[in-house]
Amino acid sequence: MTSQAVRIGALTLKNPILTASGCFGYGLEYDDFYDVSTLGGICTKGLSLHPRLGNAPERICETAAGMLNAIGLANVGVEAFCTDKLPVLRRRNVTVVANIFASSIEDFVAITERLDREEGVAAIELNVSCPNVKEGGIEFGKDPRMSARVTEAVRKKTRLPVWVKMSPEAGDIAAVAMACESAGADALTAINTIRGLSIDANRQRARLANCTGGLSGPALRPIALRIVWELAGKVSIPIIGIGGVFTANDAVEFMLAGATAVQVGTANFSDPRAARRIADGVQLYCEARGIGAMDLVGRARP
Amino acid sequence: MDATAEEKRRRELITAPLLRRESIGDQYHVLTFDVPQGIEARAGQFTMLRGAEWGDAPLLPRPMSYLTAGTMPSVLIKVLGEGTARMARAAPGEPFTLLGPLGNTWQPPSPGRRPLLVAGGVGVAPLLFFARELAASGIRPIAVYGGRTARDLPLEDELVEVADVHVTTEDGSRGRRGRVTDVLPALASDKTEIYACGPDRMMAKVAEHCAERHLRCEVSLETPMACGYGVCLGCPVPLTDGSYLYACTQGPCVDAARVAWGEGAHAPIRRELQGTP
Repeated sequence: MTSQAVRIGALTLKNPILTASGCFGYGLEYDDFYDVSTLGGICTKGLSLHPRLGNAPERICETAAGMLNAIGLANVGVEAFCTDKLPVLRRRNVTVVANIFASSIEDFVAITERLDREEGVAAIELNVSCPNVKEGGIEFGKDPRMSARVTEAVRKKTRLPVWVKMSPEAGDIAAVAMACESAGADALTAINTIRGLSIDANRQRARLANCTGGLSGPALRPIALRIVWELAGKVSIPIIGIGGVFTANDAVEFMLAGATAVQVGTANFSDPRAARRIADGVQLYCEARGIGAMDLVGRARP
Repeated sequence: MDATAEEKRRRELITAPLLRRESIGDQYHVLTFDVPQGIEARAGQFTMLRGAEWGDAPLLPRPMSYLTAGTMPSVLIKVLGEGTARMARAAPGEPFTLLGPLGNTWQPPSPGRRPLLVAGGVGVAPLLFFARELAASGIRPIAVYGGRTARDLPLEDELVEVADVHVTTEDGSRGRRGRVTDVLPALASDKTEIYACGPDRMMAKVAEHCAERHLRCEVSLETPMACGYGVCLGCPVPLTDGSYLYACTQGPCVDAARVAWGEGAHAPIRRELQGTP
């Protein structure tokens, strides 16, 4: 039996498979399907300082091998998360990565300080790359200096590892990645969705109320894989790969490209057991070759 | 009301072969599945349905109201897009994944009130299921069933077995010419409770009529959704109090008076499509 454990900086995960923010709720919605604590971890729905209602419908639509979403970061807020959701996750020994979102550095810091007071948070993932909100979000993530400022401010205020989620829309994503590394990021998550558009030809208007939405799903996968590949050559901190992972083979590809762990997002909607199935598949892949999960990392790199 | 803890506990993901597909014209099909262990769904609840061998596309499962439950659960589909077109071509034996039961059930009628079901087209499915449940407890509801043409009244004969049915078609090819809301006023009274499922435009009109006369009206909402259990947050329904309700976990059956009809999205009326077809 080979080891499936992977190390993301000081944090060790049971296995390399996590669920992606926005595609797994708060981790409590999957009890009927499997034991979520057996995953490498879960990333929460993006948490803001105050609860958010989110965008008007329509918020989602399906596209070729993918979907667009413009949810608008509807969430319960960090306080309700800490009081209502986290205690349950803690009791169940779930590895929790708190994904957080704000439109100012002050709010990023305030959310971080609130989470830092809690037991049971394994890491904080900074969403500086949401394409669907008017302020903050992607504007931070497109700019190396702004990304670094957010990362540095949060880094100073917490004992927890800080991951930064990369936007594929940054002009120079490697520059953003290196700036975050210099600012103290413990890991990078790559990538968030890419903005897309779908128009209903019968009704002659955009399908989403927000018009554009973030594209996720298999359609995104080759782009995400390429970005992980590029970033792995630029930074020395671990990369968590994400983008259209539907099968164990997809996850393995991300690891071979240089990711230390992989997040499963949209696949959870097609199959609520997707992340568990993928984790099992990666283990089988490793056992068949007599190697551990860490041995996969960057193995396809020249 | 929210799905109870008990209902949530019973939901599961089942892979089951298609037992048979019955076509009703070229647009409507009843798909029946072979589930030996049975599905304990009640009228109003829905399943997220997807071909087990679809691969990457169509990507998402489609929300479908149960027409029947038990060991031979079935759904009524209308062909609206790629997903439903694939379902309409499915052959017996083809495996599907059924996630459910999801969502809440119709509220039972109050004592002394007769249920009045208002169905539009494919919206007949959860109401026919409900009428059969009511029949089992000795209640025979009134039903108003409308479609564009005679071809848009799937399962009319089945409905007639368990309800006193009034039919309308927009082109007059069957029943009374007009819409369900043309016959509803004469049938509805303070001795009835209204249950509606159909296009949003129809449900909005029914809700408006019931609100004017202070009649209780429950609707089964239909919105696009990716997951079906409260995670994707893709199915918000605007409410009159300015908040949203999620059709998957807080619906699909909702008191019509709570819904801000016409305020959904950028459209005057919310989309009339079944899930993300």
